[in-house]
Amino acid sequence: MKRQALFWRVALLALPLSVFGCFVVWPLLDSFYYSFTDWNGFDPRYRFVGADNFVKVATDRLFTNATLNTVIWMVLALLLPTLGGLGLALLLDSQVRGANVFKSVFYLPICLSAVVVGQIWVWIYQPDWGLLNTVIGTVTGEPATFAWLARPQSALYSVIVAWSWQQMGLSMVIFLAGLTAIPSDLLEAAAIEGATRWQRTRYVVLPLLRPATVVVVALSVINSLKGFDILYIMTGGGPFHSSDTLAMHMYNESFKKYKMGYGSAISVILFLLTLIIVFIYFRQLRKLDELHG
Amino acid sequence: MADAAAAGARNAERPFNPWPAAVFVCLAVLAVLFLAPTLGVLLSSLKSTREIALGELWALPGGVYLDNFREVLDHPSVRTYFINTFLVTVPATVGSIGLGVLAGYVFSKLPFRGSELLFLVVVSGMFFPPQILLIPLFRIFNGLGLLDTLWPMIIVHVAMGIPICTLLMRNFFATVPNALREAAIVEGANEWQVLTRVALPISLPALAVLATLQFTWIWNDFLWPLIFTQSDDKRTIMLGIVSLKGQYSVAWGVQGALSLVASLPTLIVFLFFQRFFIKGMTMGALKG
Repeated sequence: MKRQALFWRVALLALPLSVFGCFVVWPLLDSFYYSFTDWNGFDPRYRFVGADNFVKVATDRLFTNATLNTVIWMVLALLLPTLGGLGLALLLDSQVRGANVFKSVFYLPICLSAVVVGQIWVWIYQPDWGLLNTVIGTVTGEPATFAWLARPQSALYSVIVAWSWQQMGLSMVIFLAGLTAIPSDLLEAAAIEGATRWQRTRYVVLPLLRPATVVVVALSVINSLKGFDILYIMTGGGPFHSSDTLAMHMYNESFKKYKMGYGSAISVILFLLTLIIVFIYFRQLRKLDELHG
Repeated sequence: MADAAAAGARNAERPFNPWPAAVFVCLAVLAVLFLAPTLGVLLSSLKSTREIALGELWALPGGVYLDNFREVLDHPSVRTYFINTFLVTVPATVGSIGLGVLAGYVFSKLPFRGSELLFLVVVSGMFFPPQILLIPLFRIFNGLGLLDTLWPMIIVHVAMGIPICTLLMRNFFATVPNALREAAIVEGANEWQVLTRVALPISLPALAVLATLQFTWIWNDFLWPLIFTQSDDKRTIMLGIVSLKGQYSVAWGVQGALSLVASLPTLIVFLFFQRFFIKGMTMGALKG
């Protein structure tokens, strides 16, 4: 009986674990290995250069710039969709007419690819005939020609807005799921006690939304770390590296300049950064679990 | 419910409650703002290049002009891109779900010492940005001589899909009563028969969720084809859109039509499986 159970565990896990091991875990370890070499991507001969790549990273101004942009990207790509999604969910939860239609409208962008979303927003930001400048021009009465994606001071933020537009539906859906889990007698009791709509939201709904918030935050952080495609499409990290993120910088160094050893070092740093965030997240989650028993 | 009841109670006190109307107007304005970008592309795809050049891209079209769609659908490369994308998306979707089913079943029904930790390791794969694996995977597939074929994309999507598929299937199998499995075992079934004849038939909702999620993600992917393909006849549709941009640099209508056609499969999947899709996004997460 026991031997049989062992057989089935091995038999059923063999394929998924070997695929996962070969194409996720092993490559990850490989990254660490190559981060200590000067491999150029094609030449089978490469040298070990010790910690050279990491020393170079520390003095690479483009790396510092990319790290800063990654932090800005992560913070805003977390705050905007989360707050926006919460707002939409609260509005939708009040049994408004046509709620299902609204839900679909807000959720639709999630189905579009980064390429399509990127293209749509490139058109919106287009300086001469883009929707944004057209609207600004109509409102102010003066023709607007600001090149949103071609100016260093606005490129990154313009992409973040496009990103938030796409991601907001996701947070909304999770918050809505959290809202339906709130027992309605609690709200009725609060209403009978004379709590205003605002007080009910602030002191009953929001605290009970904490589990949903944890999920939204986790998903947003994960997704925002993956937000490479849309940047590649919309700005390519430019102009003048003003919208470079770590993933973008790594891609450029590895696949444009063929400095794969150096690129691996950036990958390793990105991995460690993610590890720290995941660790913090799981710790917060455990704290929350203990809090709620 | 609560709000409706509360609103009812207040309606008795006050003659007019402006709240629902205000919420509706607010949502309607937001919906228009949300739809505007997508609608703009739809409108532009129905206009001729001359019409776009003369007037504004964002105005209503004079009539329905379908040449952009004809141009896109007749383009031989676009057809190749579509076939390639199906050839990658379908096997990768099936493969990742299949492996997730196997692993999810063991983790929920046949736990062993250390299986929790193993499960965590697998699921944590979900958290890391795929860009970390660009270089090593490029190296592996270069070594295998598989660069510039569809294989790397299929394999990588299967491997990267394992975490989410395992997580969702484990959570779903956990809701299948153990008594069901034990009854089948007592009657002489082995684990494989329990999985395929007992657990899977009642997991159709979870499978539908995963199928829609995986299909959408893999179809929409841009990163892996960018790294793994070079020749035009190996490109998938999302990379294809970007590479055709040069050819249609001023033909905005064609570009719009191309984007719409490329999004059609995922939009159809979304419309059909809407409820599943949204549930899937929350299921794994909220129960996890």
